[in-house]
Amino acid sequence: MTREEIIKSCLIFATGLFLLAFTLGPFIWMIWISLADRADFLVTGQVEYSLSNYRQVLTAHSLHFLDYLSNSLWISTITAIIVTLFSSMAAYAVSRMRFPGRSLVPLLILAMSMFPQISIVGYLFEMFSKAGLINSHMALILPYIAWTIPIALWINMSYFTQIPLDLDKAALVDGAGRMKVLYKIIFPLALPGIFSSALLVFIACFNEFLFAIMLTIDYTAQTLPVGIALFQGLHGEIPWGNLMAASAIASVPLVILTLIFQRYIVAGLMGGAVKG
Amino acid sequence: MASGNFLQQYEKGEVRTAWIFIAPLLLIVGVFVLLPVLGTFYTSLFLDVSYLPEQFVGLRNYIDLLSSPDFWQALRFTLAYTVAAVTLEAFFGVMFALLLNEAFPGRGLLRVVILIPWAIPTIVSARTWQLIYEYTYGVMNYLVVNSGLVSERINWMGTEFGAFWALVFADVWKTTPFVVLILLAGLQAIPEDIYQQAKVDGAGLFRRFYKITLPLLMPVLVISLIFRTIDSLRMFDLVYVLTGGGPGGSTRTLSYLGFEAFANDNFGMGSTVSVVTFIVAFAITLVYLRAGKFSEQLK
Repeated sequence: MTREEIIKSCLIFATGLFLLAFTLGPFIWMIWISLADRADFLVTGQVEYSLSNYRQVLTAHSLHFLDYLSNSLWISTITAIIVTLFSSMAAYAVSRMRFPGRSLVPLLILAMSMFPQISIVGYLFEMFSKAGLINSHMALILPYIAWTIPIALWINMSYFTQIPLDLDKAALVDGAGRMKVLYKIIFPLALPGIFSSALLVFIACFNEFLFAIMLTIDYTAQTLPVGIALFQGLHGEIPWGNLMAASAIASVPLVILTLIFQRYIVAGLMGGAVKG
Repeated sequence: MASGNFLQQYEKGEVRTAWIFIAPLLLIVGVFVLLPVLGTFYTSLFLDVSYLPEQFVGLRNYIDLLSSPDFWQALRFTLAYTVAAVTLEAFFGVMFALLLNEAFPGRGLLRVVILIPWAIPTIVSARTWQLIYEYTYGVMNYLVVNSGLVSERINWMGTEFGAFWALVFADVWKTTPFVVLILLAGLQAIPEDIYQQAKVDGAGLFRRFYKITLPLLMPVLVISLIFRTIDSLRMFDLVYVLTGGGPGGSTRTLSYLGFEAFANDNFGMGSTVSVVTFIVAFAITLVYLRAGKFSEQLK
């Protein structure tokens, strides 16, 4: 080995170790505390490990953890489905049909995603108050669709434009409608792109906090991030064990999803970033 | 996109179908983004508090906001926080992307592990950091004291200095993976033979990094930093959980200031803060885009 190769190996080893500690440290600490019966064992030195925090979080009715979880899953899933439907229709039109304004629409939609959430949430609150929608699933699903659809449009567009236009023409000549072309031809071919946009939309909704805390009031509509942010102990002191168990349950599905589908997530992020 | 043949007529049926396909998207973005944005601007011109009838006040809210020390403090904090977080993210992002671009045993595992912070919901990671920063039994103080870095525990949430860096670290942890992903794609696009040639010419490891990798990576780095900057400028959830804007209001971001006004039922002022937040973010994005073009021309 040359001197340069030795330096390089050392750098790789050190940076690799640092990366592991950096990324996994807080995550491991979360799991660790969730299994411990007390959070202050670094000072007191006494600790016992069990699954009782998980049992409490999942069974104690007053914590409403399962309500938050199911709200989050419903809202994120419904949003992802509707966004996928609408964004793929629009992406189809913009990337494969001729009409005046086809280059303007994507730019306009992209511009809409520039607005910070804070600059729409106040008015949404007043709007939904008048409509009696505050504290309903709808109060989150509707803004989430509008908030995530620009990125889904751009990701889907970047996949749709790679499919040869001749496929559409042949199908149209055979008498198929545009909708049929979209679902029979484009959808299957662009499935990886559509899947990665849906996945990113789901994750974004699952994580969203500002809309959720402004537009919901209690466990009938509050999502996991709100539940975890407002998680209170019965006696003032934060119940770290319970809280970290709840956090672990909230993150593990996303971590697993990310690890399994990392290829799609990376592709989606790149598609959105490069175009954006 | 639609280039050149503008003489060709559009087909009526096709145009109609196209607009039907786009209509749901336009409708929902129009009603739940554009309308609220316009509504927010409109509301910002009113005295709109719950205990009084609405009253048009023109630009009074803006004048009040710009003359309040809270606003300038929030603006200063938001900018300082963004600069600190984005700089550290660029540094760690380049470092980790360079690592993950090398061939070594275990690379596949690390490429997966790096995504974990990105996958964890921000609120969840904020709560975890809150525990890590706990004064008496938090692991951060345990580590910095026992490693001899500092002699006394740091009051992370109780001091301006501690709260600032606590927020920055939590943000850097959560979002560096995003920068790494984008940079990694940029690195993979650099052809290998440039390096071979440089090696033949006798350029060392660090020289190759400064002379080849960094300049070629610059456009991608700028893109990822634009994204990160836009995100940091509107940061809300970490502040909400970790500091609640404290101590003494020193860690309020612009978004948090707006949220506070809304939470106090002051919709006129909340809307004003929101409009100003947007203008600040937009102005900085424009500056960045100019810088981005500039670096592309340098190529």
